[in-house]
Amino acid sequence: MRVPLLVIGGGLSGLAAAIRVARFNSDVLLLEKHVRLGGLNSYFYRNGILYETGLHAITNYADPTEKKAPLNRLLRQLKLPRKKFSFCQQLQSEVIFRNQTSLKFSNDFALFQSEIGANFPQAIDKFQHLLAFLTDFDPFADAPFHSAKNFLLDLLQDPLLVDMILCPLMYYGSSVQDDMDLSQFAIMFRAIYQEGMFRPEGTIKEFLDLLVDHYQLLGGSLRTSCGVDRILHQNKKATGVILTTGERIDCDHILSTIGHDETFQLLEKKSGLEDRPADHHPRLGFFETIFQIPEQSAHHLAKNKTIIFYNDAERFSYKIPQDFIDFSSGVICFPGNFEGMPATDRREIRSTHLADYARWKALAEDPALYKKQKKIAARQSSQRIENIIGSFTPNIVYENSFTPVTIERYTAKIGGAIYGNPTKTKDGNIGFSNLFLAGTDQGFLGIIGSMLSGVSIVNRHILPRL
Amino acid sequence: MTSDEIKDLILEIIEDIDDEADFASLDADQPLRDQLDLDSMDFLDIVMELRKRHKLQIPEEDYPQLASLNSCATYLEPLLKDA
Repeated sequence: MRVPLLVIGGGLSGLAAAIRVARFNSDVLLLEKHVRLGGLNSYFYRNGILYETGLHAITNYADPTEKKAPLNRLLRQLKLPRKKFSFCQQLQSEVIFRNQTSLKFSNDFALFQSEIGANFPQAIDKFQHLLAFLTDFDPFADAPFHSAKNFLLDLLQDPLLVDMILCPLMYYGSSVQDDMDLSQFAIMFRAIYQEGMFRPEGTIKEFLDLLVDHYQLLGGSLRTSCGVDRILHQNKKATGVILTTGERIDCDHILSTIGHDETFQLLEKKSGLEDRPADHHPRLGFFETIFQIPEQSAHHLAKNKTIIFYNDAERFSYKIPQDFIDFSSGVICFPGNFEGMPATDRREIRSTHLADYARWKALAEDPALYKKQKKIAARQSSQRIENIIGSFTPNIVYENSFTPVTIERYTAKIGGAIYGNPTKTKDGNIGFSNLFLAGTDQGFLGIIGSMLSGVSIVNRHILPRL
Repeated sequence: MTSDEIKDLILEIIEDIDDEADFASLDADQPLRDQLDLDSMDFLDIVMELRKRHKLQIPEEDYPQLASLNSCATYLEPLLKDA
């Protein structure tokens, strides 16, 4: 079998890339290892009930009239009419540093500005300088890593404000410990604070189904439960793949969305390729739990808060913990608290914390101990976040946790690191003439970011040559 | 295709990219991108649509020739004379 373009990985970047190409040339084949599409943003069933994985909120909200906004540009590029979607905007979110201060924000950026003015009056002028800087800054230009934290400390002269601004941006997209790249910061600042957050009214499954239907109507082909065993290549040119079933597929171009090192693992197999760039940087793992309580016992929980980013420690720390999990900071998401979400009989609360992959991986050797530790961790998480949102642990009717090992198993991301390799390959070029990288390790993060990553790498490297 | 037919074709492609595009005050000598609020990603769609519909391979270095409606017509007329 031979195809002009093979896309490896059916997450949102791979799906978007495949749709983009299928608009002009239907001979595209998308391969997904897992039984379901979506990658980090997917779903599973327990007792016939659908649960989402990954998705808290989609960043980069824009009104339909804002033509140049990333969300609308993306939909145009995929030829998906905005009216096909029903989006629910966040109500209000908050950064809470307990015993210190808090900052509310919403899809109206003026709220965040006035919160900074009220809580950090001495820094508000400097904050305006930051906004002026960001207006002129091009985050898409190729540039080496520049510490956003040092840049902000120099500019704002207030470590607490810097940590509070960075906390949501790090949790929603930094693959670097205790810092992020300045370009990444600029993209995330705009995506989260200036544009804002939303989610589809339906489930992530409906969102994925809509994309898949569109792709298949354009003539694109798709195979799920289809793992790639290795990528065939010669003289820095990919020639095809061997699937785990032994089947061979030849192709003219490959777009890999599975991650930088994950791609090199497929290239190295039986090929003796030795010049893979070394990966010395630690990868950040996360622990996430879904809690559900009956709606009738949830009256005291906030109905107007969508996402809370909290920190209890003296200084906010975003790094691999010295324990299974670091509960001193985290994210609390109420998926039902978006404007116009249909009412349900259960209230869902999701918590996310930093976790140490190595510890969980070692423990997974003993399934009973691993399971027990997961249970303990879920309880520690619910009790910890009760300090912020109020009591709910006694009313939990459903609970499910994902460790970095769970995430690695279902997404094949090394170390379960949802934000991938700390070093990004911004132009998608990994040294091959016809094999390119898109998705998490290209550097655009979040659902809109990863989809734009797929689209822009295809536009830049593949469409002009197909 | 005549020059006018080519201009209609380009407008039809743009309308397909953005169904709210407003052609009422379009100046055929001025860059399409600025007037219609198109970005480079949208612009690539024009090239790709021409390839899909008319099997035209437009090399990247010629993209600037497609800047305005009139320059599109001038550039494409010899290429589409039998279309």
